[in-house]
Amino acid sequence: MDSIEGVLQRPKFYNNIDGVGELGMGVMMLGYAMLMWLQVHSPESAIWHKMYVFFLWVGGMIAIIHYGSKAIKEHVTYRRTGFVEYRKRNRIWPAAIAFVVSALVAAGLAFAVRSNREIGGPHWGLTEPVALIGLVFAAAYGYGIARSVRWKWAVVGVIAICSLTIAMLPPDWAGAIVGSPSNAGPFSPGSVGAWLLIMLTYAAILLISGGVSFVLYLRHTQPPAEAA
Amino acid sequence: MNQHIRKIAEIDRVIHEPGRLMIVALLYAVDKADFLYLQHETEMNKGTLSSHLSRLEEAGYVEVVKTYRGKIPQTLLHLTEGGRKAFEEYRKKLKGAL
Repeated sequence: MDSIEGVLQRPKFYNNIDGVGELGMGVMMLGYAMLMWLQVHSPESAIWHKMYVFFLWVGGMIAIIHYGSKAIKEHVTYRRTGFVEYRKRNRIWPAAIAFVVSALVAAGLAFAVRSNREIGGPHWGLTEPVALIGLVFAAAYGYGIARSVRWKWAVVGVIAICSLTIAMLPPDWAGAIVGSPSNAGPFSPGSVGAWLLIMLTYAAILLISGGVSFVLYLRHTQPPAEAA
Repeated sequence: MNQHIRKIAEIDRVIHEPGRLMIVALLYAVDKADFLYLQHETEMNKGTLSSHLSRLEEAGYVEVVKTYRGKIPQTLLHLTEGGRKAFEEYRKKLKGAL
């Protein structure tokens, strides 16, 4: 029975056989980090702080990831190792939970900003939230991706080590990436710098890991006509 | 006949064959897949895979659709509702027998 359960899991792992899933996540992280960098290093009145620019930026990122992944699957993956269409699942509940959690986080942040509290100030520290997010991300990556490819467990280790290293950085060092404290708005420069660093680090790790998977996939698979 | 032995005898023999079991399990997890995907995952040759698919099609468990992806011919495979139920039943009976 274990082997049947294993076979049932295989199509799910097939989605990232070419590393495209990781490349997509890497592009998403890089996009958010770039936007955050632009916001931090521009005056409050700059275009990067406008809400419509945020939505356009996210829309652009989603379009690049969606059409880029589709193009790679159509022109490379489906021709080499076959086409799969996944079952459409009911996504109403996950979407509803995500909406409620996002709304609560946004409301909490808005309340903190209105109360003129220095979010992420010295009393918050960098260590706990960054380390926690890093370990959760490493666990999610391990469960979702590394279970199917053994060498990806090394990537799980790298994610965990990088997260803990960034979490233990002195706030001054993490804040140096932000420049002037006024650039961080209501947040402490150390917290903003740590977020920026962690997103850039995850983007780099995912793009490298996805890129390596893609190269290995191209090297070890051939379209059927060429293999014959 | 002993009840446990009867449970084993009731197992669906079309699905129970290892090659066909792999095919049905792979198709159960997706909406549809093509012949090349099954060939890659099961590592069967074209002849063996075709013969198993014909048997499953005869039993009404798999639907085969010949189509084109651009200019490339493609054979799409889809587990029918009957095939899905038969596989669920098979798993239940196998668990019961073990």
